[in-house]
Amino acid sequence: MTPGQRRFALTTHLTISLGWIGAVVAYLALGVSAVTSEDVQTVRAAWRAMELTGWFAIVPMALASLLTGLVMALGTPWGLFRHYWVLFSFVLTIVANVVLLLHMPDVSVLADVAQEAEGASLAGLGGDLLHPGLGLVVLLVITVLNVYKPRGLTPYGWRKQEEERRAS
Amino acid sequence: MTHAAEGPGRGSPPGTPRWVKVFGIIVLVAVLLLVGLLLFGGGAHGPQRHSFSPATPAAALRTS
Repeated sequence: MTPGQRRFALTTHLTISLGWIGAVVAYLALGVSAVTSEDVQTVRAAWRAMELTGWFAIVPMALASLLTGLVMALGTPWGLFRHYWVLFSFVLTIVANVVLLLHMPDVSVLADVAQEAEGASLAGLGGDLLHPGLGLVVLLVITVLNVYKPRGLTPYGWRKQEEERRAS
Repeated sequence: MTHAAEGPGRGSPPGTPRWVKVFGIIVLVAVLLLVGLLLFGGGAHGPQRHSFSPATPAAALRTS
């Protein structure tokens, strides 16, 4: 990539990834509302909003973050498997995407249940705080790795570096 | 992004950094904990099992 393309790709990746974090925070706020509110309509609305936020904000940004991260890794000298911090970020992003995609159908089911449930049934739905809470921790870890870029070449990265050194 | 050369570069690959080992142990423990919870935590899995807060008492819910 040219420097201009790289900067554009980095801006896109950062914007989407931080947007993913923001959307998860919004989802958590709705989940807390679903748990703490004493108003049935508020709880039902919170669940519907969680479903919509999940499918139309979190999922698209999670997939786009994975895609733009791949573009950044493969389109720059960092590579995907050369540095431990890139490798860990990639694996954690894949895990977060898989858990998210497996979890969202449950959220849709519960959002539907919430529209009909009353009293103890509705209160028993809780607020789905664990998944987004752990997800937020994972996303913050990835952010720290991407900002600090701790040193450490993988054996593959070291071999590629040696090959390039010999070739130059 | 800059790409500084790393490692000894004298025929032998660099050792695994300490932060990678610590990070790997933390991830391994977290994964084992989650797998243990899934296997021995009652079987059923879904968002309603994971609420941190106690459920709001049914009597406290009101329809506006």
